[in-house]
Amino acid sequence: MAMIEVQHLTKRYRDRVAIDDLTFSVEEGEILGFLGPNGAGKSTTMKILTGFLPPSEGVARVGGFDVFTHPLEVKRRIGYLPETPPLYPDMTVHGYLKFVAALKRLPSRELKGEVERVASLTGVTHVLGRLIQNLSKGYKQRVGIAQALLGSPQVLILDEPTEGLDPAQRAEVRALIKGLAGKHTVILSTHILPEVTMTCEKVLILNQGRIVAYDDLRKLAGAQGTSESASLEEVFIKLTAA
Amino acid sequence: MRIALAIARKELSLFFTTPWAYGVFTAMVALSSFFFVNLLATFQQVQEQAREVTWPMMPPDMSAYRNLTDGVMVQLWGMVIVVTLFVAPFLSMRLFAEEKRNKTFELLMTAPVRPIEIVLGKYLGGLGIISATLGLTLVFPLVLSAFGHADSGTALEWSTVLLGYGGVLLWGATCMAVGMFISALTESQMLAAFLTFAVLLPWMMLSGVAQATEEPLRSVLTYLSFDAQLQNLLKGILDVQTLVFFASVIIFSLLLTHRTVEARRWA
Repeated sequence: MAMIEVQHLTKRYRDRVAIDDLTFSVEEGEILGFLGPNGAGKSTTMKILTGFLPPSEGVARVGGFDVFTHPLEVKRRIGYLPETPPLYPDMTVHGYLKFVAALKRLPSRELKGEVERVASLTGVTHVLGRLIQNLSKGYKQRVGIAQALLGSPQVLILDEPTEGLDPAQRAEVRALIKGLAGKHTVILSTHILPEVTMTCEKVLILNQGRIVAYDDLRKLAGAQGTSESASLEEVFIKLTAA
Repeated sequence: MRIALAIARKELSLFFTTPWAYGVFTAMVALSSFFFVNLLATFQQVQEQAREVTWPMMPPDMSAYRNLTDGVMVQLWGMVIVVTLFVAPFLSMRLFAEEKRNKTFELLMTAPVRPIEIVLGKYLGGLGIISATLGLTLVFPLVLSAFGHADSGTALEWSTVLLGYGGVLLWGATCMAVGMFISALTESQMLAAFLTFAVLLPWMMLSGVAQATEEPLRSVLTYLSFDAQLQNLLKGILDVQTLVFFASVIIFSLLLTHRTVEARRWA
C-alpha cells in the first residue's frame, strides 16, 4: 500500500476543470517532484490531498485513509506548506510555532522541544523572538517550512518551498529535503527544474490539469523519445508546449 | 478542548498585542463616560428640585431619581448596551475574516482540528475581549459607590447593579456570537462589521416597531426584540426566559458558524 494514493482525481469549478482524472501514487520514503506551468493544477492537487478542498470526483488516500471520509486521520499525518506561507504577522516566530504545534495536537510537554528542533533545522533559532511581519521574505519562507516540519509528520506536502529564497538558502532547503527522504514521504512542487533533479527520485509533470509525464527522473528523458542526454528542461518544455 | 483553548489564547493575545482592541476600549470608555456624566448631571438637577418642592410634589416619572441605582446605573447600563451594539462588530469582525485575508485559514483547515474546535476557540477568544471591554464600565458603579451616599444603607443596590451588568455581558456575548457568524461569511473585515451592525440594530429596534402593530404580531415582535428582553435584567429581575432567549441566539449563531466552516469540506 502506497503512502499516498490518488485515483481518478478530478476537480471541477463552474467554468473550468482544474484537474482531470489524475492517478498516481507515492511510496513511503519517496520524494516526488510536481512540475508544471502556472495554472496546471499542482496547488489544487495539494489542496485536495491536505483536505482543504474536496474533489469533484475520484479518491485521494494518505496512509490508507481517504481524505474525504477521514480528514482528521489524514491531517494528523501531513505537514503542509501552502503557496503562501500561512503566517500571522502580529505573532512572534516562537509564539506562532508553539500555536501550530498545539494545533497539530502535540503533547504540551513536547511543544517547547519540538519548536526548538524545527527552528534549528530551518535556521530560524536566532529570530524566534521577532515579530513575523518584521522578517524578510526568505525568513518568512523558512518559518513556513518549520511549521510544516512540526511533529515530524509522515508526509510532507510543500508547495514551492524555495520560493523567495536566495541561492544559498535554496541549497540549504534542498539539503534539508534530501535529508528527509527515507523517513518521510515528500511531494514538492516547484518551477525550478534543477531542484527537482537534485532532490527528487520521481517526477510528475502536470499541464492544464492532466498528467503529461509520470516516471522516474532518469527514465523520463529516454521514455519521451528524446536523446538520452536531453535535460529535464527540454522534456518539460516539449510536454507543456501545447 | 485543548485546541479550542489554544485558539482562544491566540485570539486574545492578538487582540491585546495590536492596537485595534485598545481603540475599541477607548471608544467604549469615552462614550459611556459621556453618558455617565450626563446622567449624573440630570440626577443632581432632579435631586435639587426635589429638595425644594419635596418628593411627593415631583412628577411621578421622576421617582426613578430617588436613588443612584435607578436614577443613574440602570439607565447607564441601558446606554452601555447601545454602545456595545456599535462597538462589538469591530471586535467580532476579526475572528474569521482576518484568517482568510492572511491566508491562515488554510492552516486551520489543514491541521488535525475539528471545525467545532475552531468555532468554540474563536468564540471563547471573542468572549474574553468583549468581557474585557465591558469590564471597563465597572468603574462607574465603583465610583458611585465610593463617592455617593444614601440616606439609608449603601449608595448602590449592588444586586440590581450586578444583575444589570450581567445583562450587559449577556448582550455582549450575543453580539460576539452573531458577529462571529457574519465574520465567517466574508473575507472583508469591514463588510463583516457593517453587516453585523446591520443585523443587530434593526433587531434591537423591533420593540419600537412592535408598538406600531397589533396582536398577535406585537407580542411576537416584542419577544424577539433584544431591547425588550433586556429590560427585566436591567431592572434587577432575573427572568429565566431572558436567559433562555439569549442562550438560544448564541447557540444558534455558533451552529451557523460551524456549518459555514464545515461547508468548506463540501465546496
